[in-house]
Amino acid sequence: MSDIPAVEVSGLVKDFQISLRGPKLRAVDNVSIRIEPGEVYGMIGPNGSGKSTTMKALLGLVKPTAGTCSIFGKDSLKVDSRNDVGFLPENPYFYKHLTGAETIKFYGKLCGMRGAKLKHRIDEMLNLVGLDDARNRTLKGYSKGMLQRIGLAQALVQDPRLVILDEPTAGVDPSGSRKIRDLILELKNRGMTVFLCSHLLEQVQEVCDRVGIINHGKMVRQGKLDDLIALEDRTEIVLENASPELLDQIRTLVDITYGVDMVSEGNPRTTLENLFLKETKPRRTVTKKRRKRTNS
Amino acid sequence: MSSSNKKTQRQRNKTSFISPRRILIIAQSTVTQLVRMKVFYFLAPIAAVFVGIQFFDAPWYAGPEASQPQQELQMHKNLCLGTMMLFSSLFAIVSTALLIPRDIEDRTLYTILCKPVPRLDYLVGKLLGVMAVVFIALAVMDMILVITLHFRTGAVLADVEPYLQKLGWPQELVDEKLDEISAHGPTMTLQYGVLAYFFKASVIAAVALLISTFSTSTLFTIASSVMIWMIGAAQNIARQGLFEQGGLAEDSGPIAKILATLVSLLFPDFQIFDSVAEAATRAANISSDQILQLGGFTLFYLGIYTVLSWFVFSDKEF
Repeated sequence: MSDIPAVEVSGLVKDFQISLRGPKLRAVDNVSIRIEPGEVYGMIGPNGSGKSTTMKALLGLVKPTAGTCSIFGKDSLKVDSRNDVGFLPENPYFYKHLTGAETIKFYGKLCGMRGAKLKHRIDEMLNLVGLDDARNRTLKGYSKGMLQRIGLAQALVQDPRLVILDEPTAGVDPSGSRKIRDLILELKNRGMTVFLCSHLLEQVQEVCDRVGIINHGKMVRQGKLDDLIALEDRTEIVLENASPELLDQIRTLVDITYGVDMVSEGNPRTTLENLFLKETKPRRTVTKKRRKRTNS
Repeated sequence: MSSSNKKTQRQRNKTSFISPRRILIIAQSTVTQLVRMKVFYFLAPIAAVFVGIQFFDAPWYAGPEASQPQQELQMHKNLCLGTMMLFSSLFAIVSTALLIPRDIEDRTLYTILCKPVPRLDYLVGKLLGVMAVVFIALAVMDMILVITLHFRTGAVLADVEPYLQKLGWPQELVDEKLDEISAHGPTMTLQYGVLAYFFKASVIAAVALLISTFSTSTLFTIASSVMIWMIGAAQNIARQGLFEQGGLAEDSGPIAKILATLVSLLFPDFQIFDSVAEAATRAANISSDQILQLGGFTLFYLGIYTVLSWFVFSDKEF
């Protein structure tokens, strides 16, 4: 395996000028991410935390104020970097006058595909996202879930090595959401690198190898999912065939008790949801008034 | 790695600065988009107007006994070419102003620019798409104009010839008069007039393209483009009045001249296109050199506005 990461974001800072004279708004503050090829990375954070801006910077849609972004070693601001990436934006709207097959054809052509290869790829993609039956229907008549799936198909049309999904299940019903989750797992099994951004923490927990939590533009936690959700100040012992009486003396007795097997020992896990809520909980700010009162 | 994989990898590594193929794909998609937006429906009322004009005589037309019976045809051409100019210019503005902001609002642009598509390709593709639709629309209107004008010319000739013969004009003079009238029919000169309006609409589309790259709303783009269109139409008169001999700023010196040059660079002189179309209406002689010059002028402005659009668009954040 080469040492070149699929995604490398180093010290990314992005400021937006809100008004002509006013101060700049820092949307992303010194964020660094490294995603290895074949990994599924999930970025989670509350609304306005800087997730989409980070993704846009990675895709060259916004210019970083500071820091760099690269895809498979290529600078994100260069068009070349986009040969290896497929992107599904949040709530995508495509040309509604095109049919499903025409949509994939259009994006395939933009990627330089043509002829029999493109035709075959269109069939393959429609089959992958389960839209074979709707291939000749214009997108005007597609449901939200179908639009997300055709969006995924266009993102994958040129067989990219990296796919970036911004809220792929936003506004999709549970069944449609499950289908998209299965598709992501399918991509993972194919060895594709996935950079996912979602509010559905359960889904992120199901599919991601590594997770980053971003809040107020800063990366507050990042790492392997198993490590992140481990509670380090507690120990979990999983027993088989243990009686309730045994539980009290378990630590001392477990080694000497006959017929009881220690299955595993380690840190019990919290859920990603709990971790997310803990990390993104608004911190109390002491107001001037209150500080005065305390001082007096 | 197999040779085909290597080839794919090579293709992936290299994205040309500008690709005619990608431009064509975006232009084709723009044409499909506009066609499926049913923009060609407006051709029905325009066709009705062109056919309707057939049944109206010019107020000054006194029948075959008129000294200038060709004025009847001139009026026909005037009205039709005027309609074509108005339509093609407005269409170029509105469609260009609608397409790019809509792509941004709908985030369709994200999915396009996230593919290996340089922003210049996208802009040129959109512009060519609009120009293609304007061209098709003008070609259809031109066809209707040619057919209606052909019949009207035939009707005028059929009126005038027996009248002149009845007056006892020698056949030579009658033929001369008939040739004079026929020159106002569907000739190549008329086609040059239509082509001039196509050039004009193309430049207007390029202006709208530039504005839409920095404008935040469709309405602003349309209003500003219409304003530039009007400035461009009146520019010649204003320049004559202000900067040329006898003008108000005659003594202003080099600053006034620089200002005049800047104005003419930023705002294209649409009078140049209109004068060719006017000559076509009068059936005056238009040489192919004049048309080539007009084409060069059009290309010059298309180039300037496209490069300016690219400068703005290449740094735009979404």
